[in-house]
Amino acid sequence: MKATLQVINQMQADGVIGQYAIGGAVGATFYLEPSATLDIDIFVSLQARPGSLLLSLQPLYDYLVTGRKYAQQGEYIVVEGWPVQFLPPGDALGEEAIAQAIATDIEGVPARVMTAEHLVALALQLGRGKDFSRLLQFIEAGVLDATRLDQILTRFHLLAKWEDFGDKFLRKS
Amino acid sequence: MSDFMRKVLASKRETRKRLVELPFAQKLVLLEKLRDRSLLIASSPLRQQHRHS
Repeated sequence: MKATLQVINQMQADGVIGQYAIGGAVGATFYLEPSATLDIDIFVSLQARPGSLLLSLQPLYDYLVTGRKYAQQGEYIVVEGWPVQFLPPGDALGEEAIAQAIATDIEGVPARVMTAEHLVALALQLGRGKDFSRLLQFIEAGVLDATRLDQILTRFHLLAKWEDFGDKFLRKS
Repeated sequence: MSDFMRKVLASKRETRKRLVELPFAQKLVLLEKLRDRSLLIASSPLRQQHRHS
């Protein structure tokens, strides 16, 4: 995975993408025990092309698939053996998650990982079974800053979803 | 709950705590191993047979 991150860092250095943040299961692994995943979710800030207001993933595909000959598999690009899904932020929560990601280092390779609270907020927003399972892992691991999480959930109107989640999975009858 | 089960659960909690505390780079190595195992299981002829039956 180090080699994959090196390529992503190079993309950023070459101006193909702006800031990025690792999310999903790999991002969660920063805070939790490792759990099996087949891909890497990279949230990326994109810059509009000159003269255009539209953000496009095309320059990223041109760079990796056309330029560096990495294989495209559906919505993934296989970079140094790992299928990578590049996700532009869908809303303000995604943008903030990228902007406030934590800078870390994987044996000399720089990487940016979403904060635990942003990973939880995004999982709550998605609301799939595996997202709820991850939420429970975060709570059990005791790695969340309650004040910070509360601020994020309030800011992005996710408190009602958090209450529902608590009712379903945390309250004892 | 029996004493045996209590011990098993305590041991699991301890293992998970140990894994959580590993450096990120070491966790990523484990994650790669887990991924390789998942792919191996997915490619097993038994699993393929089950999928097509």
